[in-house]
Amino acid sequence: MSKERHKHILSFSITSLLRRKGKNLSIFLIYTLMVFLLGSVVFFVSAIKREAATTLKGAPDIVVQQIRAGRHDLIPTEYMEKVRTIRGVTKVIPRVWGYYFDGPTQSNYTIIGMDGESYEAFRDRIPFLSPEEAPIGNGKVLIGKGIARSRGLKRGGHFYLLRSDGGLKTFEVSGIFSGRSSLLTHDLIVMSEKDVRELFLIPARYSIDLAVYVRNKEEIETIARKIGEVLPGTRAVIKEQITKSYETVFGWRSGLVFTALLGTVLAFAILSWDKATGLSADERKEIGILKALGWRIEDILEMKFWEGLTISLTAFLAGIILAYIHIFFFGSYLVAPAIKGWSVLYPPFNLNPYMDAGEVFMVFFITVVPYTVATLIPVWRSSTIDPDEVIRGI
Amino acid sequence: MIELKDVTKVYYKGTPKEVKAVDGISLEIAKGEMVVLKGPSGSGKTTLLTLIGCLSRPTRGRVLVAGKDTSRLQEPFLTFHRRMHVGFVFQQYHLIPDISVYENILLPLYPLDMTSQEMEERVEDALRKLRIKGKEAYRAKDLSGGEQQRVAIARALVTDPEIILADEPTANLDTHLSRDFLKIMDGLKEEGKTIVIASHDPLVYEHKGVDRVIEMRDGRLVGCS
Ligand SMILES: Nc1ncnc2c1ncn2[C@@H]1O[C@H](COP(=O)(O)OP(=O)(O)OP(=O)(O)O)[C@@H](O)[C@H]1O
Ligand SMILES: [Mg+2]
Repeated sequence: MSKERHKHILSFSITSLLRRKGKNLSIFLIYTLMVFLLGSVVFFVSAIKREAATTLKGAPDIVVQQIRAGRHDLIPTEYMEKVRTIRGVTKVIPRVWGYYFDGPTQSNYTIIGMDGESYEAFRDRIPFLSPEEAPIGNGKVLIGKGIARSRGLKRGGHFYLLRSDGGLKTFEVSGIFSGRSSLLTHDLIVMSEKDVRELFLIPARYSIDLAVYVRNKEEIETIARKIGEVLPGTRAVIKEQITKSYETVFGWRSGLVFTALLGTVLAFAILSWDKATGLSADERKEIGILKALGWRIEDILEMKFWEGLTISLTAFLAGIILAYIHIFFFGSYLVAPAIKGWSVLYPPFNLNPYMDAGEVFMVFFITVVPYTVATLIPVWRSSTIDPDEVIRGI
Repeated sequence: MIELKDVTKVYYKGTPKEVKAVDGISLEIAKGEMVVLKGPSGSGKTTLLTLIGCLSRPTRGRVLVAGKDTSRLQEPFLTFHRRMHVGFVFQQYHLIPDISVYENILLPLYPLDMTSQEMEERVEDALRKLRIKGKEAYRAKDLSGGEQQRVAIARALVTDPEIILADEPTANLDTHLSRDFLKIMDGLKEEGKTIVIASHDPLVYEHKGVDRVIEMRDGRLVGCS
């Protein structure tokens, strides 16, 4: 029996909404815009965070660098033997890699040399490539999407890179990284260690740095200190430091983001407040009439609740969908400049589409909930006054 | 049916604007009676009607409607009382201007938990009774004053209340329509409804169906006939 009433009240709410088309439409638009902005920021930040997490996941616990004249220099590969003898070290991998500036496309490639074990570890960590195995070595390489796009390369295509002595070296594209980890692989070239040495003219018994893996993460600092002792003239950078320096930058940026977020929330509060305090004389009178006709306070609140919820839910959905499309399919054009620095650090790219229920809920929670509550406060106030006075407009 | 005991209603109490709209009125109206409240503007007719109709509560005194002391009731019960017993026709009709006639009449039925079919039947009934069939799809604001008033009456009747309160119902009607209105009231009286009309229109208080005319001045009763 009691279900009837709710059904009728719901349908009356919808009629009411349509009745005040102009007003409700403008609320809807502002609302959608705010959810869009808020959603964009939230999606963007979390997508970047996720990409960064992938980047850091397989990173070594300690990186040992040779320092000469205060600068990073080639490290003798034989040093790895000394590191390996330190207790608690599970694995030491000499790495050869470098940056390559490509003049014509004005972009920086990261080139990493991998063989055997390190290549397998990398492959396990990064979801990439089409199903088939992509072999590397003898000029066969894997390239990132960005490089493939800017050079118009496909699988099996050939391209040249300039050697450090000015000569040309030919490569064949053996595979292209998929978009799943675009931040990491966008401008990456993976080739055999031998090829990297040839390209950058790295002498055989030297590497760029040593990647050290440690059994017990608590011992990282002790081991790093020991490395400094056995290999004077080197610097041991521990993962935490990498993460930390990354987090400081990120924390600073997310501070900015947070400010932006706060601004949006504030604007939202203002909208809600305006709505909350701004019951028009007509609306007040209507509430009085409904009360005089025997509507309970709950009935009136229910009706206004449906009104508020309908507006905020539709606007919320519209805003979230727009934000999603904006971030993941249109390169975050609107928020990226605001969170500048990412575009300096990284070339423009489309983030991997991803939606986190928690985040969507958070946006929901700071928009729909306060708005709906805010619409009910003045209604409640009006509906508790004797209808006689509400109708007379006192 | 209706009993007022030394009822006083003060607006803006304790401020310089203080108004004693109703001042110590005692009054009894029997079931099935048709009573007219008469008096000059500002004499407190509307205020008295709102007290009877439980649209407001007295500052002092007691109001008994259908055996219940409404002056002591909590808000939800007051609303319940209004919903179950009273149909109110306002001085300015107070229709919701931009919804249809049909929906306006439907409004008092929403809180009653009826099925859509029951509601429809009731509204059809009221439309027929007040001869506004054919206009149900019009928006209330597009109707003439007389039509609006009939919609207001239809809305007051649709819940089939025992008590009908009408405030200056003929103020905006010509003689012909005023007679129509009185005819409707006569019909309701025959059905056994208790009717209280506030009016200073001679057509109303001299109408032969009226059992009693109560005269008011400055919030007090000054005469009864
Ligand atoms: N809600 C209210 N708030 C403040 N004052 C009110 C209120 N209702 C009525 N009054 C005042 O109480 C007095 C009586 O008003 P009321 O409307 O009852 O008179 P009335 O006899 O209906 O007059 P009219 O014939 O003009 O309708 C008036 O002075 C009016 O201004
Ligand atoms: Mg009046």
